[in-house]
Amino acid sequence: MACYVADVDNSLRPTSTTNRRRWLATAVWTTSCALMLGLDGRIDLANMALILVLSAAVAAIWSTPWASLAASATAILAFNFAFVPPRGTFSVDLRQHTLLLVTMLTVSWIVTLLVTRLRWHAAQATAHARRSDQLRLLGEALRAADKPSDQASALQRALSDVGGGHTTLLLRGRRECESTGGEETRLLGAATPDEAAGLRLCLQDGRSMGPATGRHEEQPSWYLPLRGLQGTHGAALVRHASAHSPSGIVLEHAQALCDQLGAALERGAALQAAALARQQAQDHALRNTLLTAISHDHRTPLATILSASSALHDQGERLSVAQRRQLAATIVDEATQLARLTDNTLQLARMGAVGPNLQRDWESVEEMVGTVLRRVRQRDASQRVKARVEPGLPLLRCDAVLMVQLLDNLVDNALKHGGAEKPVEVVARQVPGAVVIAVRDRGPGVPPAQQKLIFETFQRGVGGNTSVGGDRPSRPGAGVGLALCRAIALAHGGELKLRPRSHGGASFEVTLPVEDMPAGSPGEATDGAVP
Amino acid sequence: MSLGVLLIEDDRELRATLRDALQVEGYRVVASASLADARAVITTSLAQGGLDIVLLDLGLPDGDGDTLLVELRRERGTPVIVISARPGEDQKVRLLDAGADDYLVKPFSLAELLARMRVALRHRGTATRPATVRYERAGLAVDLEARRVHRDAVEVHLTPTEYRLLARLVRQAGQVVTHRHLLLDVWGPEYVGHTHYLRLYMAQLRAKLEAEPADPRVLLTEPGVGYRLAEPGD
Repeated sequence: MACYVADVDNSLRPTSTTNRRRWLATAVWTTSCALMLGLDGRIDLANMALILVLSAAVAAIWSTPWASLAASATAILAFNFAFVPPRGTFSVDLRQHTLLLVTMLTVSWIVTLLVTRLRWHAAQATAHARRSDQLRLLGEALRAADKPSDQASALQRALSDVGGGHTTLLLRGRRECESTGGEETRLLGAATPDEAAGLRLCLQDGRSMGPATGRHEEQPSWYLPLRGLQGTHGAALVRHASAHSPSGIVLEHAQALCDQLGAALERGAALQAAALARQQAQDHALRNTLLTAISHDHRTPLATILSASSALHDQGERLSVAQRRQLAATIVDEATQLARLTDNTLQLARMGAVGPNLQRDWESVEEMVGTVLRRVRQRDASQRVKARVEPGLPLLRCDAVLMVQLLDNLVDNALKHGGAEKPVEVVARQVPGAVVIAVRDRGPGVPPAQQKLIFETFQRGVGGNTSVGGDRPSRPGAGVGLALCRAIALAHGGELKLRPRSHGGASFEVTLPVEDMPAGSPGEATDGAVP
Repeated sequence: MSLGVLLIEDDRELRATLRDALQVEGYRVVASASLADARAVITTSLAQGGLDIVLLDLGLPDGDGDTLLVELRRERGTPVIVISARPGEDQKVRLLDAGADDYLVKPFSLAELLARMRVALRHRGTATRPATVRYERAGLAVDLEARRVHRDAVEVHLTPTEYRLLARLVRQAGQVVTHRHLLLDVWGPEYVGHTHYLRLYMAQLRAKLEAEPADPRVLLTEPGVGYRLAEPGD
């Protein structure tokens, strides 16, 4: 019972509330005193005693337990002195009056203790609710923050609430490092050298220290480990504002808060490790891709260039003018091919390594298609490529340089594999929410088995060197080209698909999402004269 | 007297190849491998015969091409053609905005280089002499003095903005004009970021002036950089 009383004493710390309560209790006693003096002689002694018991019960609601006990004892003595005959003395005449006084005192004290007990339970419930609220809020804050330093400051705030003093954390990590025996840690908040040493010890052992922990109880503050499932991820130094140390329940609560951060740090570290592993796997795949690109596809044009140029160099005088011209033309063709291949490989590497760095602007499909046709015409004079762009297409928010590279690769692919002398069409049209640009040929098409694989980096038609429908034996660079096309389409939030055509041939279709145009229509510029 | 070319290129092989090729075409070529060297050539060339055109490679060992361009632009109107190693380079657009005449992306053919040089030399001195006032190509005729546009001998009516956009391109026919320059000169400085205005008006111009708007022969697009009116001719 003394324990309840002491705890309730503690819980009534805020002074303004205490004062108000004291005044209320005093007011109750004063009122009942006045009432009894007023009613003296009109009602009998037993009824007067009831008023006193009632006021003792009511005053107990507001005053502290000790004060309440003392007040009711004093009140009963005063009652004895003032009202119980013989009046003006503490002596009691009748035995029944003695019984009355003893009963009054016992009932008042029992009421006081019951009220105190109730208040203690209420205070416990409130404290419990506050603690679980704090745990929940910290959990939310930890989920919302993605940087460990933000998560740590959320815990620091929560612990400072608990302890009343400011909190210092020690985390495992790299930044702001101070080397301690080979392990890198960082300190968040101020700490004396002794406190820092305590934190490091706590981090190493993974056990708490300080008052009520069973270890180093002479310490004024708590050293709590931030525990996860797989180990300790840091330590917290919780300083107490008041001189007397909080109870074991508060310690458990503080430890639960610390463990939440420990678990969050562990989760973050696991996610980071997974992302790193994925990145490494991607880098590895990309490196292999590039190596394959260089070893397979770049060698062929290089070999051709080398043989043609060395022929010009070594046999120049013995060759006819026509032969020399032919060799020079071969070098120009193959160098152009190599330049395209290099562009594609580099672009693919860049997109894979640093992610797509798109220079987006509002671009016109008509212009991009027009640019591709002009480039194709410079390489291939056959005029086989025709474009049909639906009028009134919306502008697209995209990287024009990459989109032109995509379309150029698709057209180049169609010219190479769409059968000689067959037409190639570039068709752009609007569908709900998107624009579709299709590059269609009338060639042998892509065999069903290849359709899924064709966008993988090193697929070139069928197998390595077998021929497709009497086409060229190999398709240097088609793999890199189509893989890049798909990467560009995906980077724009679109997609690239291959669709076989009903009367033969392949249609490569890139779908790009349409975004809302910026507000403000381009009105006629002012002050221009009509021509 | 032959025209003087300053070739600033740090790759030895490419420098030698271009120098020989340009000399065969009858140019007087001074080659330099660095900005410092190029500056010396520019100061001395004032004394001897002059300098008619500069070919400026980006990514030189001793610094950015920007500073040299600014110096050249401050002192005289020598045409500058920027040679860049990668497409889509920001620096390329920046130099064009700063007053470079044209650009080429490596690898390029000699024919391309010569064509760009011819255009740049033709536009030389546009600040003092009247710029191109007549333009004809592929059935399109523009007369800036009479403010008239004909396609296949039929007069085409253009809105004032369309006309100003076309006229701006005609004044630099054959050369690339950046988005920024077009927006600045046609709409004004507060519209410099509004590329979509350009797209819509260029589409209108293509619809009125090109036989096949999706396969233009005159109003050419340079992705990520700007527009170019094809060189006048057939």
